[in-house]
This record gives sequence, C-alpha cells and structure tokens, in this order.
Amino acid sequence: MEPNPGTLAGSISIRPDQEETGFESLQFREEIQRLIAVPPENASSFTALLELPATQAMELLHSPPSEDGDPAPLSSDSLHGISDDHKSYISSFNGNPTFPSNKALIERAAKFSVFASGENSPETSSVPSNSSANLEKVKSEPAETDSNPNSSQPLVSDPTVESKTQRSAKRKEREKKGKGCTKKSKNETSQDAQKLPYVHVRARRGQATDSHSLAERARREKINARMKLLQELVPGCSKISGTALVLDEIINHVQSLQRQVEFLSMRLAAVNPRVDYNLEGLFATESGSLVDSNFPSMVAPLVCPEIPFSGSRQHYQQQWHFDALQQPLWGREEDSQTFITPENSLLSYDSANSASLHSNQLKMEL
Amino acid sequence: MASLISYLNLEEESKRKKLWKTGYELRDRNSRPETSWRSESEQRIYSTKLVDALRLVRRNPSAADMVSSFREIREAADRVLAVEAKGRTRWSRAILASQLRLRLANNMKHKRAKVTGCSRPKRLEKKRFSPTLQRKARLLSRLVPGCRKVSFPNLLEEATDYIAALEMQVRAMTALTELVTGPPVDRLGSTSNS
Repeated sequence: MEPNPGTLAGSISIRPDQEETGFESLQFREEIQRLIAVPPENASSFTALLELPATQAMELLHSPPSEDGDPAPLSSDSLHGISDDHKSYISSFNGNPTFPSNKALIERAAKFSVFASGENSPETSSVPSNSSANLEKVKSEPAETDSNPNSSQPLVSDPTVESKTQRSAKRKEREKKGKGCTKKSKNETSQDAQKLPYVHVRARRGQATDSHSLAERARREKINARMKLLQELVPGCSKISGTALVLDEIINHVQSLQRQVEFLSMRLAAVNPRVDYNLEGLFATESGSLVDSNFPSMVAPLVCPEIPFSGSRQHYQQQWHFDALQQPLWGREEDSQTFITPENSLLSYDSANSASLHSNQLKMEL
Repeated sequence: MASLISYLNLEEESKRKKLWKTGYELRDRNSRPETSWRSESEQRIYSTKLVDALRLVRRNPSAADMVSSFREIREAADRVLAVEAKGRTRWSRAILASQLRLRLANNMKHKRAKVTGCSRPKRLEKKRFSPTLQRKARLLSRLVPGCRKVSFPNLLEEATDYIAALEMQVRAMTALTELVTGPPVDRLGSTSNS
C-alpha cells in the first residue's frame, strides 16, 4: 500500500478490499510480467492486446518523470525469466508505479476499476462478462475467461487496454443493435492496438459475423441495391423477379434506346443541310421546353408567316425521300454560320449559364 | 515489438484503404452530385449544345454522304451527351476517348491517344454467377461503352447512368427532329389554304 502512492493506489482504493491492495498489487505485477513474458502465441488474444498496449503504456509512462518508491524486493524476483527488452520496461514500470499526470488516463482507470471492482457483486461482474460476451462476437477474441480475471486488475496498461475494450464493447453493442451493414470489417478487433477511427459494418442479429460472410453479404447488398435502381429505371421491370429476367429487360431496353438514337440521328442527318439552326435555338429557348410534341404545333404558326414551307412540307410528308428535303424548305437562305459559339469545344463543361448566354446571343443576332 | 506494431499498422492501412474505397463508393453513391438526366434544364442544355454541334457538322453532303453524315451526327450526339456527363461516368469517358482516338488516328496516323480505360478490379468477385447470368453480364458490358472489364456492381451502376442519359438523349433528339422536320400533320385538308 505504502509504496504505491498516487492514483494507482487511488484507483485500487475504490475497491472494497482495501487491505489487500498491496498483496493484489504484487499479484498484479507478477501477472503483468507473466503475461508480458509469454509471447503472443498464447491463445487468448487479450494477452496479445495486453502485450502491445503494455509496451505502449510503458512508453507512455516512461516519458513523464518517474518517482522513486521503487519496491526493490519486488523487482528482484519479478525480473527473472523476462527478456531483456521487457526488463527495461518492467523496471521503468516498477520505478514508475504512479500514473502519469494524464487526467484522461486517470479517469479511464477509475472507470475501469469501477467496472472491475464488482468482482464480488454480481451485477457489476456481469458487466465484464457482458463486455466479454460482446467481445466473443469477434472471432479474434475467443478467450473471455482470461479477460475476466484480468479485468479485475486496474492495470497501468489499463488506460489503453480498457479504452480499447470500451471501444470494442461499444462497437459490439452497436453490432448487437442490428442495423444494416454498410461495409465489412475484417479482424478489426484483432488489431485493437491501433486506433480504428470508424466502424465498417454492423452485423444483423442472428447472422454470422464471419469475415467471409460479411464480405459476401456486403457485396450482395451492393448488387441488390443497384439492381433495384435499375429496375425502377427500366419500365416494366419492377414486376419481374429474378436477376436473369431483369437483366434481359435491361439489355433490351438499352438496345432499343440505342436504336432509337440511331434512327433519330438519321432523321437529323437527312434534315441537316437545310436547317437553319438559329431559328431552332431561338424557338427552343423561347419556349423553354422541348419535351412535348405539341410544341412544334405551337411553333408552326409562328414559323409560317416567315418561311413559306408549307408546300414543301406537304411534299415531305407524303414521301420520305431525302431528295425532297434538298429543296429549299426555308425561305431564308442566308448562312448565319459566322456566328459560332465559343462554347462548342470538345471538352466544355458548361453549366446552364452558358445555355442562357447562348440564347441571348441568338436573340441578339436575329 | 515495434516491427510488429508497424507491420500491423501497414496491413491495417491497406485494408482500411480497400474498405474505405468500397465504402466510399457505397456511401458517396447516394451523396455524389450526379447529373439528373430527368430534369428539364439538363435536356435544354443538351439540346442547345447539340444544335451547336450539329451546326459544325460538315454541311456539304456529297454523293455517298448519307452514311457519313449520319455517323457524324450520331457521334456529335454521343459526344455532347458524354460531355454533359462531365466525365464522372466511365461510359462518358470511353465515348470521348474513343472519338478522340479515332480523330487522332485519322489526322495524324501515329500516336494513339491513351484511353482512360477501366482498371481491372483488384478484387475479383467471389460470388459464383451462373453461366447464363455471366453471359448476360457480358452482353450488357458490350452494350455500355467502355465497360468491358468492369466488375458487376460497377457495371450495374454505369448501366443505370447510361440508360438515364440515353433516355434524355432520345427525348431531346425527338423534340429536335419534331421541331426541325415539322409535326406529322395531316395536310390533306389544309392544302387549299396555301
């Protein structure tokens, strides 16, 4: 007790058994060293978790100035059997039993020890088991039994570890809530040593959280979402069920659209030589809409007084010959080709502003 | 120890990038500002640009020019459509690139333009498609320009955009031709007027 000043004692003192703190701190140190000494091929990934953050914690603790109060009798017996690079850490740890003056760490340690102090009480003991049950969901953390006794220790490495477990617990809680999955997360908790800024996927209730099936599910949902969009787009596809038939419909639709474009471009090509495009632009922008087919009928009475084309139009109506169209359909023959919009470049990414500008220019010209 | 940490960092980084990319796709698919091919303004923009483009098409129809002028117009229509897509979609880039390439080949006859082709998907799908589905997917990928080696979900996305764009193109060109060639009015009764 006495050689444990500072918040370590403070955190331990939250626990009900105050007289055993010294003994348990001893226990805890030995356990820590045992855990660190054991290489991570230990099945419990908690020790893997523990090992990495332990070293980080060591570095964390190493930077602030260490106090004395070094329990010499402890260090002697605890240091044998530990590799050299660990020894320095352990010694620094032993010479640094206090937490750094990091308030956040202290708070977290306090919180975690509140968690862990319920070893005796059933309800709080359910919390670590709950978190461990949550941890169980991830296949990379199978060992809950280890986490239970280990969670009882308010460790120096606790701040990093328990923050991770808190994070992972929160993550697993979110998983348990059963939202739809967006992306998949592969073994993200196995690498809890680093901070993971975001959660990828949320597994639904009762579904396998295997990484493969997660990936499969994510892919399938992507594909299904896009198929649904396509079904809405293509007329008559919403009734059809089954990917193959829907794909058939889509292919047919695309082919028909492409054929329509070809047909229309043929018509335009036929009319092209004799069309006065300025008029087109004027009428197009004046009317404001080129969608409905009633539009030309509105335009026709406007056009008629200017250009006598009714005769040739009748001609055109009766026969589809392109030679007929070669006759002057329009009265005006002047070539207003001098006006070429600067926007007509190959890669012009204009917005509607240019369109309105163009219409103004057209109006001015006429 | 530090090496292990760094290795985990790297591995996590690459995994995170992969996941981030797929997630980015998914997440931004809804939030990406896509061209709304159904809107009136888009159609108007397209029509005006098409008119401009058509004006620049070679206007001297020679003897066997029907086909060539038709092809020119078709190409102009596609080009304007691709331009309006603002290069966000694969098919639009493929259209422009192919046209550029042809143009360069015709003019210079050396140095092919580099096509911004589809990058091979890094992760081939693990889902086993039935052979009929695969055949249909191949068909669809042949129809949509520039999407031969695209993964299936991306193919569906490109097809969605392409279909919407085609529909707008058809609407605009229909209206244009109606305007130019005049409505199919029955003139039998009105011949006496003119």
